[in-house]
Amino acid sequence: MTNEMLRAPAEVKYAEELDWLESVDDGPKPFSWRLSPRMVRLFVLGSERSDGLDREIPQKWFGDRSFVERSIVTLASDRGLLLIGDPGTGKSWLAELLSAAICRDSTLVVQGTAGTTEDHIKYSWNVSMVIAKGQSRESMIPSPIMTAMEQGMIGRFEELTRATSDVQDALISILSEKYVSIPELDTDNTVFAKPGFSIIATANSRDRGVNDLSSALKRRFNFVRIPVVTSKASEAEIVRFRTIELLRRHRIELDVPPALLDILLQSFADLRTAAASATSEDEKLESALSTAEQIGVLEDAILHSHFFGDRTLRAETLAGALVGSLARRAPEDLAILNKYWHGVVEPRSRNDGGEWTRFLDGGRQAISTLS
Amino acid sequence: MSTFDALRGQLLDAAEAFSGGGDVLAGILSGMVDDVDRMLREELEIFPVCHHSPASALAMTRRLRDKRPKVVYLELCEDMRPLLDELRNCRLPVALQAFATQLDGFPAGSGPLSVIAPVTEASAEYQAIAYALDTPGVEIVLVDRSVDHVFQWLPQETDGPDPHEQAAQGDEAALHSDDVALHGDAVGVEIGDLRPRFAELEKHLLHHGKVRHWSEWWDQYVEQPLTGADYDTYRQAMALIGSLFRRLRPDGHGRLAVDEERERYMWTRIREHLAESGADPADCLYVCGAFHAVSTVAEFGLRSEAPPYTIAPRTGTRWLHGLIPSSHSAIEAQFGLAQGSVSIAAATWAKAVRRGGVTPYRLEGQQGGRAKQGGKRGGSAAPPVAAEPAADRLSGFLAAPPALDGLDEDELRGWCVDIVRLARRNGYLASTADAIAVFETSILLAGLRGRARPTPYDFADAAVTCIEKDAVPGRRDVRRLCEILLGGDKIGMVGYDALPPLARDVYDRLEPLGLDLTRRTQQRVLLDLRADPELEPCSDLLWTLRHLLPDGALRPIMGARRLGERPIQESWDVALGRHQREIVELGYEGVTVEQVLEQRLRRMAWDPQATAGAALAAVEDAILYVGGRRLPGELGACAVELLAAERTVDDAPEVLRRIRRLLTYYRASEPELPAWCEDFVTAGYSHYCTLLPTAFADDETGVRQVGAMLGFLFTLESLALSLGCDRAQLELAVRQSHPRDPAKVALLWAAQTQLGLLTREELRARCDELLANPLVVPAYPLYVSGFVQALEPVPGLAPFVVEALSKAFARLPDPVLLPWLPTLICTLRQHAPELVPVLVREAGRTFPGALAELDAWTPPWERPAAPVRAARAAAAPSGPVSTLLARHPGACDAVAVLLGCTAEWGSTGHGNGEVAALLDRHPATTGAVAALLGA
Repeated sequence: MTNEMLRAPAEVKYAEELDWLESVDDGPKPFSWRLSPRMVRLFVLGSERSDGLDREIPQKWFGDRSFVERSIVTLASDRGLLLIGDPGTGKSWLAELLSAAICRDSTLVVQGTAGTTEDHIKYSWNVSMVIAKGQSRESMIPSPIMTAMEQGMIGRFEELTRATSDVQDALISILSEKYVSIPELDTDNTVFAKPGFSIIATANSRDRGVNDLSSALKRRFNFVRIPVVTSKASEAEIVRFRTIELLRRHRIELDVPPALLDILLQSFADLRTAAASATSEDEKLESALSTAEQIGVLEDAILHSHFFGDRTLRAETLAGALVGSLARRAPEDLAILNKYWHGVVEPRSRNDGGEWTRFLDGGRQAISTLS
Repeated sequence: MSTFDALRGQLLDAAEAFSGGGDVLAGILSGMVDDVDRMLREELEIFPVCHHSPASALAMTRRLRDKRPKVVYLELCEDMRPLLDELRNCRLPVALQAFATQLDGFPAGSGPLSVIAPVTEASAEYQAIAYALDTPGVEIVLVDRSVDHVFQWLPQETDGPDPHEQAAQGDEAALHSDDVALHGDAVGVEIGDLRPRFAELEKHLLHHGKVRHWSEWWDQYVEQPLTGADYDTYRQAMALIGSLFRRLRPDGHGRLAVDEERERYMWTRIREHLAESGADPADCLYVCGAFHAVSTVAEFGLRSEAPPYTIAPRTGTRWLHGLIPSSHSAIEAQFGLAQGSVSIAAATWAKAVRRGGVTPYRLEGQQGGRAKQGGKRGGSAAPPVAAEPAADRLSGFLAAPPALDGLDEDELRGWCVDIVRLARRNGYLASTADAIAVFETSILLAGLRGRARPTPYDFADAAVTCIEKDAVPGRRDVRRLCEILLGGDKIGMVGYDALPPLARDVYDRLEPLGLDLTRRTQQRVLLDLRADPELEPCSDLLWTLRHLLPDGALRPIMGARRLGERPIQESWDVALGRHQREIVELGYEGVTVEQVLEQRLRRMAWDPQATAGAALAAVEDAILYVGGRRLPGELGACAVELLAAERTVDDAPEVLRRIRRLLTYYRASEPELPAWCEDFVTAGYSHYCTLLPTAFADDETGVRQVGAMLGFLFTLESLALSLGCDRAQLELAVRQSHPRDPAKVALLWAAQTQLGLLTREELRARCDELLANPLVVPAYPLYVSGFVQALEPVPGLAPFVVEALSKAFARLPDPVLLPWLPTLICTLRQHAPELVPVLVREAGRTFPGALAELDAWTPPWERPAAPVRAARAAAAPSGPVSTLLARHPGACDAVAVLLGCTAEWGSTGHGNGEVAALLDRHPATTGAVAALLGA
């Protein structure tokens, strides 16, 4: 099944692992959870020898243990979970892993956009069926959230702050009363949430102020803030993990030389430092320089080398991909990258040589093409 | 056969199973059991403790009540003993401090040296101290190496990186309060430092314990299981942990060598004391860190047969001792503990005490905290328990999971309600629903982390999860609020009686201000010195303290103290309560503030690196803060010596500024100049005259310095000449000067003009020549810079400087002018007070005031009439001769024609300068004419 999907959801991808965990899980499980909280944590953060399991469970989300623990207990409690953080910090991935582990279905997702309406959260009608048979439960199309309520599962709401405030507020009654009424129906007009229902929402901290959550809704969510990974070691780990996955997905056999990975991490670290010390928005790259962005750059470079190159990842290609994905605003971002290339990469290539020199050339070329 | 044979066998089996019969693991495991066994068999009862451990404190209290020892040996620097008696006057936590500024035997420049040992109420050592001091017939003996040895051994100790210090440094950025700086840069010593000795071990323990930091690990795996344990279990478990860390340590680390030295030191001191006092070892208790309780040095034990250990002599450094306030956060920062951990330990201790079962010891009259509870006499006077061979309690302790208290619902509920209340007060929209959610989440978190009941750390995590939203509304976030709730930072205060004389004197003398100096807030005080002249001593003291204490302790809002000025009203922000440590440390330097100030000023002037400028600064401070003539005179004499001995003139601008200010002050306030001032001026005159040619030629010496030298020579010339200096010396010096640098050349020309060696016209001609020569034009701005610097020594040159600047602006080509302008502006800005007013005034006089006049305006230097007017200005003195000549000009005209002069007579009656000079020179003619006319 995995082979027929471009990207399999976590519960499909890790189905075998989840089955095994369920079979050995003897801890108490809240509500209708498929795994106990400890096993959920183990699934997300990976196992160690001291856990005494017969097989190794790989780590899937990289970050502080306490974030995962706090998220799990929130889902076991009465409140919804809101993961908040900069773009690319792994919020949605954590949400997906948690729902896959808890209820084996991470696809009950509502994507928040400016066009999201209350119907997307509650229910809508199959118009032709309504005309044919009238309004009934059959002609009703439940939203993913309502489905989650009916089945006692985890519903996900991506980018909650992109949806307008009145739409967001539809969640208030769902989270506090735990039922949705369908006034159009005379009978069977209330959908009650089954035990185990909860909501994981994600919000982008860069969107603050666009559609702020009302305090009533804030109260019903526990906030877990996911910071940008700044530790180089764990960042390298994440990039490596995700890249292997991508390569497997594209069925590409290509080595990522550690020296290039180092260059990528180092340049992101440098650019982050520069962004932190910038005084105005114009001196900052528009990109949040998150780990996901790094993975994107690497993916670009890998695909480019695979299809248009000689199937070897080269520093020039990496530099081109980096410039290509970070230069978003025409004069500002290019100017910053240009400054970075001349002020930081050039001396480094003089001192360290090797891949840095090729990285320098590739970047220069990419910048001059774009300018 | 030993008590622990069964356990040893079990452990060896385990070692066999895990490492396949490796010797190392087996050695470590059985060695640990041996260590515990050895400690238990020791004749002198050893009480292993850990710092900031309520379990240790509880076990200590219980043991003291049971055993009632007559002598308590404590692992603390032996020379701090006298300080213990002062503890009762303080509000804990405070730190015992030893301080030395006069070093002898340590590398010069490494001082001042300072050692602190913080004491909190929830510690085993405080229990021991309180018991020993307040129970008649009990002696407390500090046995650890003296403070002097701490520093003697320090280089050895710090030759390897300390994982905790690194951790502490890493956390430093996260520290939010200035209270953590309470200890200054002192070296910390602690009783019972118990922590893994290398970072990997600690990381391993944290990782597998599923906890975030060391304090949490300790709390979960040692503290809580031991809180209710009996004495034997406590003792054996602590010794086992001490032994574990002792055996798992990096080799070749200097720290262990120091620890072993200390152990030898302590056992030697104990043996000495026992021999001297003849005390029965059965009546004694030795309180030391668990690490030292299982020491492997040969000197360990009373029956040790090791050769006597010779204690190295102390250095000649004079150590002063005192108490300084401390705080939980300062202790955490100093010893690399997690933020809030000492507060949580204090809260745990308070809870354990509240639950009863044990009445803690408390020094009589101890300030702060709760009222005395029953105290030492309230305790049951249980007969000393006969020592029995200890049974093996370790097997049980190690085999069973930690027996934790059940869920204390009341306590957790209280926390939940309180955190919501606190959060609401800090701007959060928290409600009762949040309290319920925090409660639920805490329990769930504890369950997920495998704990029977939520620890304070779980509770804090839960509170953050449920209450913290996307933004922090106030100053404090929820994590900080949790810390406050769970005890908060507690800041100690040294009581009045325990303060050094200087600090007490300060408190006494500031009493008229009516301030509560024990408060840690900033207080505003207004001194109306005209209405209340009796407040003047307070004002003096405040100014002196401001000079001595770091910024922030005292801040004058209104009023300033300058030479010759006395404010009639002053207003101060006083935060002395927050800077008690600094006042206490001042007390190490002297008995009164004035004495300390005098010492510091003397040190400033007699410092081997001191310059004349620094000495003059000291004189100024002495006049401002000490008054009188003696000290300023001595410092001034020192300044004279320093000036005469100086070989460079880098300091000249500073010297000039200060001596001018001092001379102005003395002229205004004293009938005559003090002798040192006169000496300084004469010495300076000849000194700068001597150095002038060198300074002009030397490339290292800047224009500013030479300008200041000339300033000294010209502006103080009249005074110097009246004191017997010779002007010829200056003229010679100027003649000998041959600068190459254009700016200095300009300066020299200015000096020559001032001395009359060069006329204004010649100077102008030279400048015009420069401007006319295309090869020199690029250097012209440098000349103008030199002229600008000459404004200070030769203020009369101002019109010419304006002229030179105007010409530069008018005639210099842009490529030369524009790059120079920023330099000019920077120079003017830097020396604004001296240069700008003169220049602006002169420019105002020269240039037209309105735009309309500009068209018709000709610069004064281009007006043809100017020289005539200038000549007229130098009019001959009026008198009968002038009047007569003016009335009958015929004779003079004839004489003039004869002599070839063409100058015309003025019609105003003022004589022509040249004619007057001529007549002065040959008075006979005029006399004859006058006689002829019968005047």
